Amino acid sequence: MSIDHHHDEHGDKLLESEDFQKARKEMRQTLWRPGVRADQNVGISRRVLINRAVLGGAAAAASLWLPRINTMDMAYAQEGGGVETFRFAWISDTHLYPKEVNTRFVEKAVRAVNDVKAMDPPPDFLIFGGDLAQLGDPVELKLGNEIIQELQIKKYFIPGEHDWYLDMGKTWTELYGASPWTFDHKGVRFIGIDTVSRAQDYWTAKNMSPQERMAHMSGLDGAVAGAWSGLGQEQLDYLDKTLSDWGTDKPVVIFTHNPLYEYYPPWNFWVRDWREVHEIVKPYTKITNIHGHTHQVLYNEIGAMRSIGMLATSWPWPYAPEGVPDLTVPMARTNPGDPFDGVGWGKLGFNAETQKVDHEWMMWREEVLATIPQKSGTSDNPTTFLRPRPDGR
Amino acid sequence: MRAKRSFWMVAAVSACLGSAFCLAPTGPARADKVAEQLAVMKTFDELFMEQVKIGDSLFHGDAAMEKKMNVVLSTTGMACAMCHPFAADTHPAQYPKWQEQMSKFAALRDMINWCIEKPNQGELIDPDGPAMKALEAYITWSNQNSPLAAGTH
Repeated sequence: MSIDHHHDEHGDKLLESEDFQKARKEMRQTLWRPGVRADQNVGISRRVLINRAVLGGAAAAASLWLPRINTMDMAYAQEGGGVETFRFAWISDTHLYPKEVNTRFVEKAVRAVNDVKAMDPPPDFLIFGGDLAQLGDPVELKLGNEIIQELQIKKYFIPGEHDWYLDMGKTWTELYGASPWTFDHKGVRFIGIDTVSRAQDYWTAKNMSPQERMAHMSGLDGAVAGAWSGLGQEQLDYLDKTLSDWGTDKPVVIFTHNPLYEYYPPWNFWVRDWREVHEIVKPYTKITNIHGHTHQVLYNEIGAMRSIGMLATSWPWPYAPEGVPDLTVPMARTNPGDPFDGVGWGKLGFNAETQKVDHEWMMWREEVLATIPQKSGTSDNPTTFLRPRPDGR
Repeated sequence: MRAKRSFWMVAAVSACLGSAFCLAPTGPARADKVAEQLAVMKTFDELFMEQVKIGDSLFHGDAAMEKKMNVVLSTTGMACAMCHPFAADTHPAQYPKWQEQMSKFAALRDMINWCIEKPNQGELIDPDGPAMKALEAYITWSNQNSPLAAGTH
């Protein structure tokens, strides 16, 4: 085949021709596919919705994310309305492998437990927020259980997806019983919900082994497991029923693994039925959701519901490229060379005076929150355009 | 002129690729050339995506692919994607730049090897080898539409 290398008249005409332009357009569509900022069209309207919901309190909200260390020590002061000030602790996302595979994760889980033990006065209880194990292996779950059982205080558990999809929750449920659950403590109603076990069946049709099923679930950015996070009708009904005999002006705390709003669905930083949740909790004026899964400092408000995202002990996730709530003051960029940076546990409490949940992110390095935009984990979001993995992996 | 030049460069490359992509000039010359370009570019894309997929597998801790490529990217159970979902925070568009962790001026591949060696406690890979190129292909493709911003942090 011969090709003309000189710019002749024919070549110029070819470049200008309709045929060529059409082909070029087609070529571009094939070769320069637009970067996918997942669910972009819907995302925008949803963000507007969230922004509107918090617009009224935006100015006051600027201070809400601050850890209120000064109020944490007002333990056990009896206040009006039958509600007492008290403290509790949160640990989640330990992602334990068997000891011989990864000793750092074990060390950090142990450190969190020891930190909680050292709280003085001791917290009233511990909530473990899911993802005790990395691959749902009974060896990992039992290792985690041994570490957590070192704590003598009352403990409550909700599962994460990593705990569930090897044996479909068998070991987890044997160790910790079923969710959802509820209890009242010093005037606050606590509700624990399982947001992980109701994935659509992606394994049967493809004949996956339990290990393959777990492998797809254990990757945050995989598409195969889909939008697995949700409450499901049964738990929505449970939530509705559990709140129905509780005054709308009385405090409620809901524990979940995933956040109860739409932050970034491709990583299941949401529950798929969050709108239904908000319909149910709408009348309640003192309601707080505390969640894990996102491995980062997060704060949001949707209507009257406050939402606090807790740290992992294992590793920090980067902030998603979009959808970070405006009310979040992001944590500082973490140093990937330091396994104790960007991770930790949580001190929480109910403050009878303010009638609010106090929270403090207990990070093992000093710099927790970004003080200037350049140091923030979200500073390059405006210039980062990510696309999902190839071939729907 | 630039557009024209690149068009003819692509045409020249297609000639070099051999007869597999050549279509017999049975119709009008203009239409043939367009079809040839599309076929060549499609092949380039397929070759690229093959590397992207190898890189995606390595990045996500696929043990079989590591074995096939004869690399050990981690010994801690950590895979690249565990800190970099969708290759977030890899910033291929920002390299080369001063890399604080290494105290040196670094290319993306230097940082990839640093992550393999330090947090993942794996074995350094050949910076010019196929595994490195596949990882770069995946990381770059994932961040394709991020504007170039070399030297920034």
